Amino acid sequence: MRTGHFKERTAQLVALSDSKVVWSFAGLLLALVLAAPFLIGNYQVTLLVSAMIAIVGAVGLNMLTGTTGLISLGQAGFLAVGAYTNAILMMDHGWPVWLSLPAAGVVSALVSLLVGVPSLRLKGLYLAITTLAFAFIINHVILYAEWLTHGPNGIFVSGAKVMGVDLQRGKALYYLTFGITVLVVFAALNIQRSRVGRAWMAIRDHDIAARVMGVDLLRYKLYAFMVSSFIVGIAGALISLQIRFVNIDVFALILSIEALAIIILGGLGSIAGAILGAIFLSLLPEAIRLFFDAFADTNSSFYTTYVYEIRGITYGIVIIAFLRLKPEGLIGLWRDVRKYWSNWPLAY
Amino acid sequence: MTAFLELHGVVKRFGGLVAVNDVSLSVEQGQIYSLIGPNGAGKTTLFNLISAVFRPTEGRILFQGQDLTRLPTHALARLGIARTFQNLAVFKHETVVNNLLVGMHSHLRSGPVAAALFWGRTRREEIAARERVEEIIDFLEIEDIRDHPVGTLSYGQQKRVELGRALAISPKLLLIDEMVSGMNQEEREDIARFILDLKDELGMTVFMVEHDMGIVMDISDHVCVMNYGRKIAEGTPAEVAANQAVIDAYLGSSRSAA
Ligand SMILES: Nc1ncnc2c1ncn2[C@@H]1O[C@H](COP(=O)(O)OP(=O)(O)O)[C@@H](O)[C@H]1O
Ligand SMILES: [Mg+2]
Repeated sequence: MRTGHFKERTAQLVALSDSKVVWSFAGLLLALVLAAPFLIGNYQVTLLVSAMIAIVGAVGLNMLTGTTGLISLGQAGFLAVGAYTNAILMMDHGWPVWLSLPAAGVVSALVSLLVGVPSLRLKGLYLAITTLAFAFIINHVILYAEWLTHGPNGIFVSGAKVMGVDLQRGKALYYLTFGITVLVVFAALNIQRSRVGRAWMAIRDHDIAARVMGVDLLRYKLYAFMVSSFIVGIAGALISLQIRFVNIDVFALILSIEALAIIILGGLGSIAGAILGAIFLSLLPEAIRLFFDAFADTNSSFYTTYVYEIRGITYGIVIIAFLRLKPEGLIGLWRDVRKYWSNWPLAY
Repeated sequence: MTAFLELHGVVKRFGGLVAVNDVSLSVEQGQIYSLIGPNGAGKTTLFNLISAVFRPTEGRILFQGQDLTRLPTHALARLGIARTFQNLAVFKHETVVNNLLVGMHSHLRSGPVAAALFWGRTRREEIAARERVEEIIDFLEIEDIRDHPVGTLSYGQQKRVELGRALAISPKLLLIDEMVSGMNQEEREDIARFILDLKDELGMTVFMVEHDMGIVMDISDHVCVMNYGRKIAEGTPAEVAANQAVIDAYLGSSRSAA
């Protein structure tokens, strides 16, 4: 049985992890993900890119909703702001992608103030409704501000070149997305273990006590909105690069629900959970498809006819099952497994 | 000379109810000052006023000469005022260490960008904060639970975490609202010992609301009694115990003084 070990220096205590095992696993995993494009087909590479974008979006939302406890249904709106910012800057203003991509995050963060400031005193469902309204408004702006967004026509996104390399193609997009995902995850982990992350969780668990401890509630809620939206905006920009086209349908409100489902499934407030949840839910449709391919009558068009209904229902079942059986989400499941194996073969 | 903490004619109304009615008092630096009175007397409300959680309807509250009534709640930690809550107010999903680290908030500087990078100053201040927190953990004898989520601990342990979190502010003035209710005798004695240590070793000023008369009489330098929102008596523990108005408030009324 492994036991907690004594830490000799405080520096070890503030480290992300001082376990060689954890770092070796993380390193191995990173190496695998890095090598993946050479081991799997193009279609699977595309799937992994989608999964990584989902991770970036979920980690962003988790800061606001999981860590700070501010329920947001505005995810679709912030993704749209990021995607459109990137598309407009690249295609209409000729910005290089290495500038338009961070700009998408910045604009999204600034726009988040529009919803953050008026809703600073709102909590729970009231905030959820306000953020939902925000997503509606963004939808409206996209449709009717044609001079800016090209309205219903949408915008084709192409030519994301850096030093001659087209970042929207297969492996290049994969490594771009991978790099951003790693940066975002590390930034999130760092914030979580520092003053800002602790202020956020204090606000979530007991806002009056947080204020008495010196946390400026309004300021830290705005930080949560801005940092979260910055990251979500980047995810949106990546979406625009991947699918090469933005229009209103890409950012349907269901995206907000899916993002919430991901972090609930993963375990609210846990970054590792957000990652697991994002992988799980973005690969789930693929699993369903494989299932139907394997077991359904090949001539049947049942799956293709009802693909959205089947996905919706499966999401619903998975979420309800988790809320019922494992409220701490996938990360809770993982902790149980780890506890089991670290005590094995001793019963506990 | 201005007193350490001074209240002048403080009134708090909730609609028609006058929870605190024209209370004036002054606490000297380095004192253990106890506030007692039957349930509903207005003691917690008074604490909420001093810690700027509520604004007084009337009156002034001066800490080292500075008026607290105009300050936002979060500004008080930096002035060196900390408090615990009558009902548990811990960050229940987080570990003991993280709860205490939140108490260090006003001693740290890093904003979101510095935090995301976790380099240089951020790293150094996090390490220093962690060292300070370990000292508090030592002092309160909670080493064995430091990594537990606070919500999973016993009531007495959670109270101790709340005390630790307040101490992480390194306060000059510590407000303690009914710390020992719901604790067993051993836990009560521990808390009394901690409070005495804070006064004797750190010169901290402790202002506490307490129902446990044993503790109040044993460790207080000064006792103030409230009833129906008003201050009805004050003095040394012995003086207060002999005061007829106090005896009436506790025995004469049918309300519990538990
Ligand atoms: N936020 C509030 N709103 C309305 N009434 C309150 C509030 N807080 C306290 N009161 C009332 O003020 C009175 C004093 O309460 P409190 O200060 O909690 O008394 P104590 O701490 O001495 O038991 C009680 O009658 C209580 O109901
Ligand atoms: Mg009370």
